[in-house]
Amino acid sequence: MKERIAIIDGIRTPMCKAGGVFKDIQADQLGAWIVTELIARSEIDPALIDELIMGNVGNPTHAMNIARVIALKAGLPQGLPAFTVHRNCGSGNEALTTAAAKIQAGDGDIYIVGGTESMSSMPLLYGPRMTEFFANLVKSKTLSQKLGVISKFRPSFLKPVIGIVQGLTDPVCGLIMGKTAELLAREFHITREEQDRYAVESHKKAAAAIESGRLAEEILPIPVPSCYKAVQEADDGPRDNQSMDALGKLRPYFDRHNGTVTVGNSCPLTDAAAAMLVMSETKAKELGLTPIGFLRGYAYAGLEPQRMGLGPIYSTVKALDRSGMTMSDIELVELNEAFAAQAIANLRAFDSDEFAARYFGRHHKVGAIDPAILNVNGGAIALGHPVGMTGARLVITTLKELHRRNCNVGLATMCIGGGQGGALLLEAA
Amino acid sequence: MEMPATPNGFRIKITDKVADIVFDLNDEKVNKLTTPVMEEFDGLIKQLAGTDDLELMVLRSGKPGIFIAGADIAEIADITDPVAGAALASKGHRILDRLVALPFPTIAVIDGACLGGGLELALACTYRIATDNPKTSIGLPEVNLGIIPGFGGTQRLPRLIGMPKALSMILSGKPVNGRKAFKLGVVDAVVPAEFATEKIAEFAGYIKSAAGRKAVLVRRNSRPFRRWLTQDNALARLVTANIACRNLMKKTKGCYPAPLKALEVIRRTLGMPLAAGLAVEAREFGELAVTPISKNLINLFYGSEALKKDKGAVIDGKPRQINRVGVLGAGVMGGGIAWNFTKADIPTRLKDLNWEAVGKGYEAAANIYGQLKKLRKYNQREIDIKMHHLSGTTDFSGFGNLDIVVEAIVEDLDIKRKVLAELAEHVPEDTIIASNTSTLPITELAEGLPHPERFIGMHFFNPVNRMPLVEVIPGKETSPETIAAVVALSKRLGKTPIVVQSCPGFLVNRLLLPYLSEAVMLLQEGVSPKDVDRVLTGFGMPMGPFTLLDEVGIDVAHKCAVVLAAAYGERMANATLLECMCEDHHLLGKKGGNGKGFYLHQGKKQVLNPDLPAIVGDWREANNISPRQCSDADILDRCLLTMVNEAVRCLDEGIVADPVHLDMAMIMGIGFPPFRGGLLRYADELGAEHIWTRLYELAEKYGDRFKPCERLQQMTRNQREFYNETVR
Repeated sequence: MKERIAIIDGIRTPMCKAGGVFKDIQADQLGAWIVTELIARSEIDPALIDELIMGNVGNPTHAMNIARVIALKAGLPQGLPAFTVHRNCGSGNEALTTAAAKIQAGDGDIYIVGGTESMSSMPLLYGPRMTEFFANLVKSKTLSQKLGVISKFRPSFLKPVIGIVQGLTDPVCGLIMGKTAELLAREFHITREEQDRYAVESHKKAAAAIESGRLAEEILPIPVPSCYKAVQEADDGPRDNQSMDALGKLRPYFDRHNGTVTVGNSCPLTDAAAAMLVMSETKAKELGLTPIGFLRGYAYAGLEPQRMGLGPIYSTVKALDRSGMTMSDIELVELNEAFAAQAIANLRAFDSDEFAARYFGRHHKVGAIDPAILNVNGGAIALGHPVGMTGARLVITTLKELHRRNCNVGLATMCIGGGQGGALLLEAA
Repeated sequence: MEMPATPNGFRIKITDKVADIVFDLNDEKVNKLTTPVMEEFDGLIKQLAGTDDLELMVLRSGKPGIFIAGADIAEIADITDPVAGAALASKGHRILDRLVALPFPTIAVIDGACLGGGLELALACTYRIATDNPKTSIGLPEVNLGIIPGFGGTQRLPRLIGMPKALSMILSGKPVNGRKAFKLGVVDAVVPAEFATEKIAEFAGYIKSAAGRKAVLVRRNSRPFRRWLTQDNALARLVTANIACRNLMKKTKGCYPAPLKALEVIRRTLGMPLAAGLAVEAREFGELAVTPISKNLINLFYGSEALKKDKGAVIDGKPRQINRVGVLGAGVMGGGIAWNFTKADIPTRLKDLNWEAVGKGYEAAANIYGQLKKLRKYNQREIDIKMHHLSGTTDFSGFGNLDIVVEAIVEDLDIKRKVLAELAEHVPEDTIIASNTSTLPITELAEGLPHPERFIGMHFFNPVNRMPLVEVIPGKETSPETIAAVVALSKRLGKTPIVVQSCPGFLVNRLLLPYLSEAVMLLQEGVSPKDVDRVLTGFGMPMGPFTLLDEVGIDVAHKCAVVLAAAYGERMANATLLECMCEDHHLLGKKGGNGKGFYLHQGKKQVLNPDLPAIVGDWREANNISPRQCSDADILDRCLLTMVNEAVRCLDEGIVADPVHLDMAMIMGIGFPPFRGGLLRYADELGAEHIWTRLYELAEKYGDRFKPCERLQQMTRNQREFYNETVR
């Protein structure tokens, strides 16, 4: 009999726009604060934990295998193994699903999982010509050799590669993520106005969630180094005064002439971390711990990199089939809003018989998603999308909202750069 | 060829023309150069001098972590005659001269503590090799005991490494590690401790060749002429000495003769032939060894060693292991206490009412680390890791598995009681609850708390990062296990804990406040704060009472004084001028927006508050007090004997177990001058009879509060002292 995967608790830092409040903070620091808090408030004996798994996309060179660095900085025992997972925008949930697979396989019982990202810290890189120049300079011993190397220098060598731009550009289809959203806008005939309207909604919902204190229930306030005097308590992305007018002023970012995707109807670059304590249900009972929910099922699916934005519907279909469920069983949905166009494209696809027939070979639509149960506390357009962390946050926020609504089953799903989707089926405890 | 160990622990093995000597003093934890040891060593040297066919001698210690920790402090403490002291030194000189005169090279292998006489012995060897063992500690700390190096340290060290570097080592008394010693030139090589044997053999081979020997000498002093020109000629020595003297006077205010004497000896003798210099050293050593200051410092040394061993309470087994702690209140004290726990690498849960307050606690801790970073004690990587031990909260989440919680919230009985009761609901019943209260009675705070045996006072001093004292205050029901655990924890935090029975003010504040109040009484009578501060700093206090009042906070002092006056009655002079200053005139001292108190604290200079005379004048008018004169002697005695009188009462009531505890507490808590040995040591110096007489005089002149306590009367009658003999 398969073990049920119990999620005992989850917590995250506030999500802050890159280049802002958290710009001088590294991803391992964010992760270590969250894990420290998780250990402290759960009061679990660190010696009982089997492994720590962290999602991270940026993989900063100062903290190789960032999961291990986080574990040690959070004061976990040196004997605790840890590793880092990377499934692009699905890294935060990959950590959870990997732990789930290990629990099912009997590798261990108790895991700390999560995701962390500091998009502020993604580096500018020297290109290959400059790197070669440095290497040759170091190799040359005599003065004449050094002069020879220096004479070959060209100013063009200095042109930096912007790490984050490179990272967000698919190497196989050659499209930066925003351009994939433009593709979907065209495929599904999603106008600029529709995208802006969607964005305004996202901000409104997020602002209301902050105001009501709902989001505060999943956030750990962070005293900000280096003075630590200022304490960041809330996400700083959402604007309660976001308007069609304000958004209308922006020029399309990815296609200057005919585009519809702007920075206003895309998710901002963000810094944050999140973590969860997960264990087998048996272990939870043994330790007398009450979970907030269970991971009922999950699936990852692949599709063309250029249409990666449709990852949610592809992976949701797979996850539902595996679990023997349908969309009518789902009471709450978190669908990551990388771009308004991408989110809307999914909603239309979910509601389309033709789409279901063409791509999944079935007669009926997968199942429309009622806007009233979608991203009810705001989505990435307002809150942000720290790529390695989002997957973990979506799980935490879904479970907490299910409790608030006294509902049972939720879906957390995201598109994944490179042409994948991830979908997790969650059950409130 | 191997010989059996000598009675004092020297073991010699001669192989291949190398004499390998291992020193492991029998029945002692450390190797020290007692007179029998030196005599035996002398015999050994004479024996080796007479042995044919020896090419090298290597001297090592058989005790891990210790090379030779120094001469025998007990022998020095026993010196009562400067001539005998000089003779002790000269005897050592002659023995070490014979070591120098051996016809083959000698190598001292320093792995562990190499201090005082131990270093002087090593300096008499041809070469020195140190290991990079973290326990390797090389220095001449004699000035800390009120004496100067007496086995040639003032002669051999400056000649080896130059006057400035030697002065820096000798005047500060601070030891250096192996690597630093190598950099300074004190040792000729620093080797990995695990490969010491191989490295010594390598070095021995190296110095067999003339080139090798020359290289070593060159390394010690690569430019002899330049050193002479810049450091060793008479003029340079004079200039260096002047600067050093000025710095010393600023630091010690002339109260400590030993470093000044060391400076003088080195300056005078560096140009002399060695024998003449050694004679000067011996004479000055003898003179210093008999000074009361040296005796006092040695006794304090014994006292602090005894305190280190003191467990605070007798229990079965080991004290409770502390794994996780909580701190309630993230203010100045809470933040400092949290810092201290993170420094000891203990996960710390910091709680306050809101996140802004919690952030201030983080800020306080980070500021202290920032200061330490400037002093190069920690780098940023280390600080980041330590700050990660902190987690903050505004509720009691995370308190369910803590071993101890320190409460450091506002000093109010009702609020503390309420918060402590709430805390007790959220922590296991055996979690130690410790209060940082400075004035509230521990037993009263514990009232109503479930399991009061786990409640205790743990009083830190401000600022937490610089004050080494912690008063550990058990309540009536506090268990010995709780006391032992908190004592052990305090030591782990790098503090010196002293167990004090609960009474208002505990120990330090109970003695300090009357001293401060008396100073204010003096001001009320018309004496200038500057005069009072002058007299007390002249006595040796690090700052005068009015400067201290401004530091501590006039309102804080006033609050404390009120509590003590209520508790102890008439004798605790309640100087109402304090109340007038903080409440009517909003003069709080250094803190507070304007930095005004008895002095003005804007900028670097300390200037008397020009408003003060008017305020005092008005106060005097309102209270119908006419001004009067007070001699310096009266000023000193009024302030100090008030403290002594109260201290004797404390001893009588059993507030502390031991006069040495009281003296160490006052030295660490208020900076009572160590060179005087402590408050009760000073009292012994004056004599009970003198104190008694003086107090009666002061009572006649200034008020009944000076009447000597019962025990003082008894001590006078029975001619008793606080310290019957030197503590060992």
